[in-house]
Amino acid sequence: MNAENPFIPYLATLLTTADLTPDTKLLTVELDDPDVRDRFDYQPGQFAILSAFGVGEAPFCLVSVSYRGRQLEFAVRRIGTVTNALHDLEPGVKVGVRGPFGNYFPLEQYKGSNIIIIGGGIGMAPLRPVVNFILDHRADYGDLLIINGARTPQDLVFAPEFDTWAQAPGSRLELTVDRGDAGWTGREALVPDVVKELKPSAENAIAITCGPPIMIRFTLIRLKELGFTDSQIATTLEMKMKCGLGKCARCNVGDTYICQDGPVFTLEQISKFIEQF
Amino acid sequence: MTQIISRQDLLSWLERLIGERIVIAPAQSNGLVLFQRVSRAEDIVLDFDNTVLSPKESFLPLSEVLFTVAKENGDIKLMPATVAEEMVLFGLHPCDAKGMAVIDQPLLAAPADDLYQQHRARTTLIGLACSQAGPECFCTSMGTAPDDPSNLDILLTRVNDSYIVQATTEKGKALLPSDLIAQSEVTAPPPPSPQAVPTEGIVEVMRGAFESPYWSRLADRCLHCNLCAYVCPTCYCFDIRDYVDEGGIERVRSWESCQSPGFTRLAGGYDPRPTKGARLRQRFYHKLSYFPEHFGHLGCVGCGRCVRYCPVNIDIREIINDIQKLGAQSEC
Repeated sequence: MNAENPFIPYLATLLTTADLTPDTKLLTVELDDPDVRDRFDYQPGQFAILSAFGVGEAPFCLVSVSYRGRQLEFAVRRIGTVTNALHDLEPGVKVGVRGPFGNYFPLEQYKGSNIIIIGGGIGMAPLRPVVNFILDHRADYGDLLIINGARTPQDLVFAPEFDTWAQAPGSRLELTVDRGDAGWTGREALVPDVVKELKPSAENAIAITCGPPIMIRFTLIRLKELGFTDSQIATTLEMKMKCGLGKCARCNVGDTYICQDGPVFTLEQISKFIEQF
Repeated sequence: MTQIISRQDLLSWLERLIGERIVIAPAQSNGLVLFQRVSRAEDIVLDFDNTVLSPKESFLPLSEVLFTVAKENGDIKLMPATVAEEMVLFGLHPCDAKGMAVIDQPLLAAPADDLYQQHRARTTLIGLACSQAGPECFCTSMGTAPDDPSNLDILLTRVNDSYIVQATTEKGKALLPSDLIAQSEVTAPPPPSPQAVPTEGIVEVMRGAFESPYWSRLADRCLHCNLCAYVCPTCYCFDIRDYVDEGGIERVRSWESCQSPGFTRLAGGYDPRPTKGARLRQRFYHKLSYFPEHFGHLGCVGCGRCVRYCPVNIDIREIINDIQKLGAQSEC
């Protein structure tokens, strides 16, 4: 983060854009200043605030992993003013980056555990660096089960990586969609129902989930039925944010600032929030 | 011995300061006493109960450019805004000085809000002790007092036609006009006693009142006009937006209120705090529960402005009383 003036973004260049789904693009960005680029380290679960100059800025999770390279990747769904502008940018254009912000998934602490990743729709974005981190440190973790759902096959966000995820040792990828199409031979089921069907064991396991609120609500019920305790379930929360610094008071839930104290929380922490969403 | 300055010499000193730097002071504007930039000492109002608006605008302007985007030969450069001029903020009451201290906590916490920090560093605060308490004042219940010199650089207390001068910081001492100040045996009159509000234990009692239907009932009459946040010396929530003007781009920070319907609405339309009751509750929880839990003291200073100006008489003093009663009932 720019410690001298945290509202001034680092300048960066949009290198490439790639369609992930009909409404989501993968933006690859490189920070212009080589010194900044070198020290911009981040962990799975952290986020940055991207600027489309002249339109505004908005927070996005970093979907790349820091140690693989210096280029930053963001999965941006076209849904509001800033995301529309970001989608329309051509490679080569200057953008702004502030961050990295927030806490991250405690992957060090999860070493030795079986990991169950449960993502729905664009909610798979913050989980992608977790999957890649675990695959890159395969010996440190137990079995990896990835349950990834979306409305339709076209809406599955990281399809080009599915073979890698599925074929890695000790890893299993289960895809599901609400509604299949002509070419779809996989599951047509809701994510919580897939959790119920696969019955992942809670023993020595951690479940990490992100997705639309309704998916999360029922997924949590299913996980609890399987014996997962609140401290075995982690998620990452979304709130309206402006500053990323615990100053603008947009994202506070009780005395917790999602931007600083989060966005990653265990269910145990969330259950103590005074305000429940 | 105390240091005093006569009313006439105070005006001469202010005239001198106006020649040297920006002076923001209470002055008449269409029948209202407002903090504004003054160019003549004689325009400054010395006797008033409280200004309509708090002086927070001097540090956290209603709307302020954070940086501009300059385009040069196809390349772009970000030009951060800076605060160049020295400023005196004159005439604020101790409650408003405490309000600044409240805003300091989130905004100066590392990494500091650079522009706000520059405003603060370049400003000297000369306060006026209150000679009377307004009907809506309750500062002594909120950790300050009509004669509280803390959070100020200099406090002036009126005694007849003179003012006792108390410089509490080095910055304040450096500004004092030694030629205009005399030594005297006078003592300050006893400060006025504003109304007391039962704030003792309110943070704990608030914890238990979150789910009470009290908040949605209270919100039934709220017009979400945001006036409470507008006049409040401690409301600091802000928005950040880009403005494009004839090819130039400015990133602007402006006041925002947790009472606005869009305050927590995400792109796509989902709003985790969608009702007026939940938003009004947020206002009082931020001041009486979350802020003290985070920073150790209440986020209200008892200036009484929201009480005076709320068009539907939503009264924080009444709310504190009601919540204390709710808490007492639930213990039975």
